[in-house]
Amino acid sequence: MRVQESRDLAEAGVSAALKAGASYAEARVQATWEREFGLKNGEPQPSVFVEGYGIGIRVIAGGALGFAATNAMRRKSVREVAAKAVRLAKASGGMLRRPVVFDSAKSARTSWAAPETEKIESADSAWLKEVLTDIDGRVADGRAGVKLTGRIFYLSAELQERYFVNSDGARVAGRVPRVSFGGSLTAVEAGSAAQRFIQQGETGGLEVVKRLGLVEKVVEQTEAMGRVLKASAKPPREEVDVVLGPELSGIAAHESVGHPQEADRVLGREGAQAGESYLRPDSLGMKIGSDEANVSDDPTLLHSNGYVPVDDEGVAAKKRSLIKGGIINEFLQNRATARQFGVESNGAARAVAFDREPIIRMANTFVEPGDYSTEEIFKEVKHGVYFKSFTEWNIDDKRLNQRYVGLEAYLIDHGELKGLVRSPVLEITTPKLWGSVKARSRHMEFEAATCGKGDPMQGAPVWTGGPETLLAGIRLGAR
Amino acid sequence: MDRGAGDAAGRDKAGGAIGVDLDGLNSLAVRTAEALKVDDAVALSTRIAESMVRFADNSATVANRVDEAELTVYLAKAGRRAIASTSNLSPAAVKSFVKELYASMRGLPEAEYAPLPDAGTRFSQSGGVDKKLEGAEEILPELAKAAIDSSLAAGGERSAGAISAWKATVAILTTSGAKGADSRTAITLNIRSFGEGDASGHGLSCSSTLRGFDPEEAGRRAGEGARGMRQAAEPEAGKYEVLLGPTVASNLIETVAGAASAFSVDAGTSCLAGKLGEEVAAPSFNLTDHGVIEGGFGGRAFDDEGSRTRATKIIDGGVLRGYLHNLTTAKKWRSETTGNAGLIAPHPWNLEVGSGDSSYEEMVKEMKRGIVLTSNWYTRFNNYRTGEFSTVPRDGAYLVEGGKVVGPLKGMRAGDDQQRLLSSVRLLSKEREWVQWWEVDTPTLCPWILVDGVSITRAYG
Repeated sequence: MRVQESRDLAEAGVSAALKAGASYAEARVQATWEREFGLKNGEPQPSVFVEGYGIGIRVIAGGALGFAATNAMRRKSVREVAAKAVRLAKASGGMLRRPVVFDSAKSARTSWAAPETEKIESADSAWLKEVLTDIDGRVADGRAGVKLTGRIFYLSAELQERYFVNSDGARVAGRVPRVSFGGSLTAVEAGSAAQRFIQQGETGGLEVVKRLGLVEKVVEQTEAMGRVLKASAKPPREEVDVVLGPELSGIAAHESVGHPQEADRVLGREGAQAGESYLRPDSLGMKIGSDEANVSDDPTLLHSNGYVPVDDEGVAAKKRSLIKGGIINEFLQNRATARQFGVESNGAARAVAFDREPIIRMANTFVEPGDYSTEEIFKEVKHGVYFKSFTEWNIDDKRLNQRYVGLEAYLIDHGELKGLVRSPVLEITTPKLWGSVKARSRHMEFEAATCGKGDPMQGAPVWTGGPETLLAGIRLGAR
Repeated sequence: MDRGAGDAAGRDKAGGAIGVDLDGLNSLAVRTAEALKVDDAVALSTRIAESMVRFADNSATVANRVDEAELTVYLAKAGRRAIASTSNLSPAAVKSFVKELYASMRGLPEAEYAPLPDAGTRFSQSGGVDKKLEGAEEILPELAKAAIDSSLAAGGERSAGAISAWKATVAILTTSGAKGADSRTAITLNIRSFGEGDASGHGLSCSSTLRGFDPEEAGRRAGEGARGMRQAAEPEAGKYEVLLGPTVASNLIETVAGAASAFSVDAGTSCLAGKLGEEVAAPSFNLTDHGVIEGGFGGRAFDDEGSRTRATKIIDGGVLRGYLHNLTTAKKWRSETTGNAGLIAPHPWNLEVGSGDSSYEEMVKEMKRGIVLTSNWYTRFNNYRTGEFSTVPRDGAYLVEGGKVVGPLKGMRAGDDQQRLLSSVRLLSKEREWVQWWEVDTPTLCPWILVDGVSITRAYG
């Protein structure tokens, strides 16, 4: 791609913005290359091929933030875009109550790349088709023990390259190859229907398919559908212990810890869209969970779907300990919120494309592992339910009231997994959920997800994950 | 080094922030494809200029402006199909892009598909541009301020939101002779106001013209919600009559329109599968998709295959009349395209829910024990095949007893399945509103809708 050739355009954009009156300016040249192929019920869908390339310029002028982007990649256009960002920022100054000020975070000067063994650019239609045909062939026509009435599979290979420069001295080049898989499985038997959506993804080259064990995972999930269709037991109505599998631990960590601890939400910036937070700026240090509640976000995990070692404000990212021993320990910060909180940015600003402003995002959010083996976790439970996977989920916009509906879920009786439970519903407040954590296993798994936030919307690739997490004394609902 | 999109500057008859000759781009792409002896080719060029001002706590947070152009190319050859889009629009880049796309098709398997019909349709601009919205970025801050001030006057304490104005032009050229361009403008405002405690209210204004845009009214609604939601209580769990405001109803109706896409039906992700000609809603319920409709800003005169868009009745008198089709799904279903391509999946353009004859006040009076919902978010499905979902109400929500609003409610979740919900429709309002915002992609003209038997639940703990 041509990002590296456009460094001079980025520099020109920053210079033009400063000349037009900006007190701060940054420019990000970002290019996307993507190849995707899909099968619907075994039928090939048109292959998809995307190339996006442009520049986004963000400024502070008159205390206000302005952002302008274009894919007209010539010097004159870039200068015009820079001037436009400054003009728009100044024009919005009439409704500005608090000037935007960035912290003094150290500006990175580096070049980074997510590691890859087999170059992502070698992903062609034939390779994508071969992987999906293999997967589809293993589960079509009841081969995995259940007849699927609908199945969709997509596989994509994507490369994001960017070059970032700002007036504080940051110069950062980044390269992120990524392989993503999505699947939708529907099974209907004897009037009973089950549906499963699978999302898997990692940064890296073509080796990701094998590293993920993608084919085996889809087969395993399809086999589980067959079991789920036969589930008839209702969830217990009395209080029980609940074991959240890694998939459930991960989504709960993402939804009710990661999101409410985004500093921009805490300050109300996303109020009309993704909402605010139950936490206030002075909530740091508040006890929200048991001593066993430990949740982190780490953008530096190698191979992770949310691998971002340097953020889109030119700040080196680091692991964030969000809840530590049940205490609200840290918020996700960018340079502007960090300044308001009197801390340093922890490198959480990301933009998914050249035409989007960088905003605070999670990367890889997870419940920290504990000391128990998986078997020991189950042995702790006399009477309970194990949520291995889920379907429907949602949460209120302050992140206090969440719901997860189990898909593959089992009764636990004196430490043993018994029969399947049909659609147990965990509808619970955030303090109750994290206050009920009694133990965690040391076995960790991660799932890929696309996190939606911002206006215009930005879907950011992330991981969610964790160990088996034991919650004590929970009342479940039923669908 | 490739110099990119700006190379075509100066040849843009329509003007615009990015000077790109969309017809010229399409012509180059199709000529290149024809030289490769493809069976079919479609070139769709898009130019968009969008300005947005976002605000929070009554203060501007960022002013955004995006000027972009993009070319999408579809090729078919011997049952192999590929779609590609690029923002690198220099002539040399476009030629090599089409050639690379063609080369990439060699690795693809053959598949059933419908060739483009030999229509030779010429599309002319069918209205939809308000010149006052071109260059509207300069007035967005004052319009946002008007909404904020209106909210403050109505009882809101702090407001957050986004005001956005855009102009999009799409041009098409196909090897079957379809040719034309279509331009649209729109302005939208999403404002949410907060008051004491958890109190919040929501307001929208969406219009294809500046004249039809009313930021003060949106702000007033948001402010009144913030005031009216003070000291809200949590409802008892159970089944309720629910009066769905246009914002909530549009969110749920959009999922029904998604289920009407023939792609969803084929894929097993539709609750409308196998129900053509059957009653799927109350007889008073009508749902139509429009390619072009007065006041709508989501569609255009042609779809992505060059078919003319039209009005398609999805549900008529409560009966499922048809699915949304492109050429390929129509062939499979032995039907005709409805002009809803989507080269892979058909999709709606502008949705219209038929009006009823009730006023809002009359609908409330009809309710014995129910809930009024004005906004929601995070609708997610347990199973798209069965249509089971839940959604989270937010902002103005009120308990109704004996035909009167008795107080605000919070901390609840509403769950149902799509078909049961549609079948329970009792009343629809005369008044309708255009809705498009963060939770509703497809512009939808929607009334208030009174339904029965919705499950309301609360969180444990």
